[in-house]
Amino acid sequence: MKALKELYAYRQMIAGLVKKDLRGRYKGSVLGFLWTFINPLLQLLVYTMVFSVIMKNGIEKYYIYLFVALIPWIFFSTSITSGCSSIIQSKEMVKKIYFPREVLPIATVTSGFINMLYCFIVIFAVLLVARIGFNVYAILCLPIIMLVEYLLALGFTLIFSALTVYFRDLEYILGIITMAWMYLTPVLYSIDMVPEELKNILLMNPMSPIIIAYRDILYYRQVPQLETLASAFAVGIVSCVLGYLIFHKLQKNFAEEL
Amino acid sequence: METVIDVKNITKSFRVYYDKGSQLKEKMLFWKRNRYEERWVLKGISFQIKKGEAVGLIGHNGCGKSTTLKLLSRIIYPNNGTIEMKGRVSSLIELGAGFHPDMSGRENIYTNAAIFGLTKKEIDERIDDIISFSELEEFIDNPVRTYSSGMYMRLAFSVAINVDADILLIDEILAVGDANFQAKCFNRLREIKKSGTTIVIVSHSLGQIEQICDRSIWIDDGKIKMEGTPREVHAEYLGFMGKKREEIAEKERKRKENNKKNDKEENSNVSITESNEIGKEKELAFQEPKNQDEKLKKRWGNGYAKIIDIAMCTSDGEKRTVFQTGSDVDIVIKFTVKNIIKDAVFGIAIYNSKGIHCYGTNTKIDKLDEFELKKDGQVIVHLRHLNLLPEVYTLDLAIECEIGLPVDYYREAYRFEMYSMYEEVGTVRIDHTWELSER
Repeated sequence: MKALKELYAYRQMIAGLVKKDLRGRYKGSVLGFLWTFINPLLQLLVYTMVFSVIMKNGIEKYYIYLFVALIPWIFFSTSITSGCSSIIQSKEMVKKIYFPREVLPIATVTSGFINMLYCFIVIFAVLLVARIGFNVYAILCLPIIMLVEYLLALGFTLIFSALTVYFRDLEYILGIITMAWMYLTPVLYSIDMVPEELKNILLMNPMSPIIIAYRDILYYRQVPQLETLASAFAVGIVSCVLGYLIFHKLQKNFAEEL
Repeated sequence: METVIDVKNITKSFRVYYDKGSQLKEKMLFWKRNRYEERWVLKGISFQIKKGEAVGLIGHNGCGKSTTLKLLSRIIYPNNGTIEMKGRVSSLIELGAGFHPDMSGRENIYTNAAIFGLTKKEIDERIDDIISFSELEEFIDNPVRTYSSGMYMRLAFSVAINVDADILLIDEILAVGDANFQAKCFNRLREIKKSGTTIVIVSHSLGQIEQICDRSIWIDDGKIKMEGTPREVHAEYLGFMGKKREEIAEKERKRKENNKKNDKEENSNVSITESNEIGKEKELAFQEPKNQDEKLKKRWGNGYAKIIDIAMCTSDGEKRTVFQTGSDVDIVIKFTVKNIIKDAVFGIAIYNSKGIHCYGTNTKIDKLDEFELKKDGQVIVHLRHLNLLPEVYTLDLAIECEIGLPVDYYREAYRFEMYSMYEEVGTVRIDHTWELSER
């Protein structure tokens, strides 16, 4: 509780870091902030080409099917891959001044989250153009699932960012891990396509219920099953608490390790 | 009064790796080889600081005082023991650590203050104070990379000191900016202290600590050696350091002497008798009469008598080369006589490192009768209250005949150093008192 209070006191620092990250990310590039949208759209293009034009899968409006899952996934994976080096990058500060170290991964995840929110503008635009439409009740569940995903991403980022301080290779290993993770999550395909034996393994993946929920809300226009929501919520909270505890334990030696 | 800092028996060690690998390959291959040495910097320190108190941590380099401060600021954590602190902590340990060179001074104030845990509203309230304190009004919207190092420090100090912390930790940074700015910082610290902020300072400048602190804690070799009012502690500390310095000076001289000797042996193959060498090592401050010196015009005379040994001692007879200003010092001069001298005069002269003649006298000036030197002997000059201020000095010695003919004139025969607990300036201390009267 005390830790939360302290983090609240440091909200200005988090806000400052997020702003710096959002503003600085594409600094110097010609298209600048537009990259926030172009990057996922290009990924969407590639995957759509491969999985619906070359390998026909029979899913109606596959690009939308994919898009509503891909954007949340990109948020999760970039949180982990860029968040894991957040402590190392601010090494000078960590070594010299006190502030709750959690601030750094929180800022990275938050800026990724804001990027995702921007991308959702595009999602809504596409949904309108493609005449898929919205279900108001379903849309009301969207903030909940976003919050859950935020907690989950934060939990993992806390763990990985702390571990990376002690073990620098993790930064590179995580690139492969997140790629494998994506294929183990029903982002490119539907959970129903998975053979029964593998299905249970896939459902143990904490990202699976979240992606399924996003798709239910935006593509199928239905309120996600309570079961899916509840399990996602539980996983989110657990990962966040666990992540915090591990981080807290490991952060004591940051200044000496760096 | 409420205790705001409670340090209980903390210990801290650092691992000094001989060869550290943090990559997977290295960790897997060399995990057994990861040898390191455990260096204990703090060996059990406990103290309490009450609200509004100002405490100075002193000690020689590497004694653990900065580590203690880092532990207090929670940058690192102790191996054992606990530290409890109440309230917002601001540290002036690494000034400007969070500064971004491309951002303007104003923007940096916001980010830097945010690192101290201030909200935007709180910073808005303080921004004018911070800018005016830093005296950087004209430059505040320029990028920080265009600042001079003095401006940089001023800005950083202004932020750190204006965050209204409950506890302020300061490490050796009162050397910020020019004399005016320093004075301002000092006054500001006093104000802050008056308003109830607890201050912990690490400094080598005992004078600064005496001006601000109510208490000094002397840390030596990872333990608290002494604790008390700055005056008491500093006097002890300086005495201790004086002794230590002498040991170091002694070692240094030994090393130099050895080097010289080695050089000499190598270069000219002059064989020196065993007994001579031992004598040399014993009397290091005293430069053995050498041909070299005579060539360098450091020594001259008719050689009827010769100075063979010089020593400066404390009043208890302890031989030293470092003395405290104001202490009693004896100069012991041993000499041998070759030819009888009927009217000998002894003289001394003290020069400082700038070559200024600080003091000189001889037995004639002091209206003593001429000595008749027949046999080897010694002369002792008792200097009462040697009031020379901290500096390195050289001593000239002379034996002359009354008509002024040098028998043995030896320039720079002995070197010694002075140290002091006070910060007077100039060449000598002049005994004084102050008196104020109003009309």
